[in-house]
Amino acid sequence: MALYFGDLLPYSSLLLEGLWTGLYITLVAMLAGSALGVLVYLGKVGPGKPLSVLCTFYIEAIRNTPLLVQLYLIYFALPALGVNLEPVWAAVIGLTLNNAAYTAEIYRAGFESVPRGLREAGKALGMKPAQIVRYIILLPATRNVFPALTNQLILLFLASSIGSIISLPELTNAIMSVSNTTYRTIEVLAVGGLLYLAVSALMSLISKRAETTIFRWAVGTHV
Amino acid sequence: MFRPFEWQDLLPLLEGAWLTLQLCGVSGILGVIFGLILGIARTSPSRIARWISTIYISCVRGIPILVIIFFVFFGIPLLFPGLEPDKFSSAVIALTCFAAAYVAEIVRGSIEAVAKGQSEAADALGLDYWRKLRYVILPQAVKIMVPPGIGFLIGLVKDSSLVTVTGLLELTHAGNVVTNLTGDPIKTFLIVAAMYFVICYGISWLGRLYEKRTGIHVDPLKVPEPAGL
Repeated sequence: MALYFGDLLPYSSLLLEGLWTGLYITLVAMLAGSALGVLVYLGKVGPGKPLSVLCTFYIEAIRNTPLLVQLYLIYFALPALGVNLEPVWAAVIGLTLNNAAYTAEIYRAGFESVPRGLREAGKALGMKPAQIVRYIILLPATRNVFPALTNQLILLFLASSIGSIISLPELTNAIMSVSNTTYRTIEVLAVGGLLYLAVSALMSLISKRAETTIFRWAVGTHV
Repeated sequence: MFRPFEWQDLLPLLEGAWLTLQLCGVSGILGVIFGLILGIARTSPSRIARWISTIYISCVRGIPILVIIFFVFFGIPLLFPGLEPDKFSSAVIALTCFAAAYVAEIVRGSIEAVAKGQSEAADALGLDYWRKLRYVILPQAVKIMVPPGIGFLIGLVKDSSLVTVTGLLELTHAGNVVTNLTGDPIKTFLIVAAMYFVICYGISWLGRLYEKRTGIHVDPLKVPEPAGL
């Protein structure tokens, strides 16, 4: 068969719109999810026993089930309880709840990687508790979690494609509808795949750059 | 027209879960084989091997698994007329392509995590590249690969839910079918989720057992965070 990309030209704006929707939802879910993740993490390590059990259960339940099933529960099961959601809202809520569990685990790993001796050293130097939290816990922990968080952003962007199954009009959805109208399946999948690849490569490039500029003072060293 | 969810509805779900296990078993094993080859190529002294494997790995890791599934499912019959793999085979092909790239990254990370002195010692002993790999590097690297590999396997089980788009009757699609019969998505998909949980938690339990037995623990932040969500 001969490949012909010309048929796709009229649909390029549809594809780009899809890409934009996917990016937009990813960013919203990343911001909301990593904020919610902080709460989940604090709930897990906090003193309240029932809350801690609940947060642990939440993290494990999300991390051990597929995102698609979580989206199905939100999109198909909630209407049975009388809550009807647009695909966009279902996707945003699903990705946010999903992301919160993963970021909570990232925070845990990041904070656990700051050795206890460092905190004691801060105390010995006569630092105030607020200073210890800021300079000795938050800064090294942020640096430790930053690469994992940007990685999570890329994974989340790729996962936003799953929204197409609940008819969210993002890139994969656009790819399939263009494929259905033009029958240029290979071509549109190749173009769509390259769009995904370009954006995720760009995200990874920017985050590597950001890593070296923000944490210039200790690149490549682990506390 | 709907009938209530009954115990007999568990049967198709269990069959779906069994198909999911088979799917992940086959593509997991194939993924490890190809991933080992790719990962070794990625760290090999040959520049061409490094280039090819790097391009493959970065392409697959930068494209959603769903797009890869569509590509294999619709693309293979178009690109190779006459070749029409059944749903199970095309799901295995797609998941294997995907798994190989992620396993390769784990293999690369593990090979690089083996202390540098080991490689230098092997060079000093006059071992050639393949002997060095076979007797010095890989035996140590394989032990490091297991914990992230387990994490990846869990991701594979979860990502296998996406082949539902091809109509293969694995666990998630079985959930769809049962929902259409019973009109009870809440109960059905909670049970589906619980089944995935049992499978994934079981695998991670094995991983923790391994870490306890061997004392090998890998810093989760240093491992290339693999696998889907």
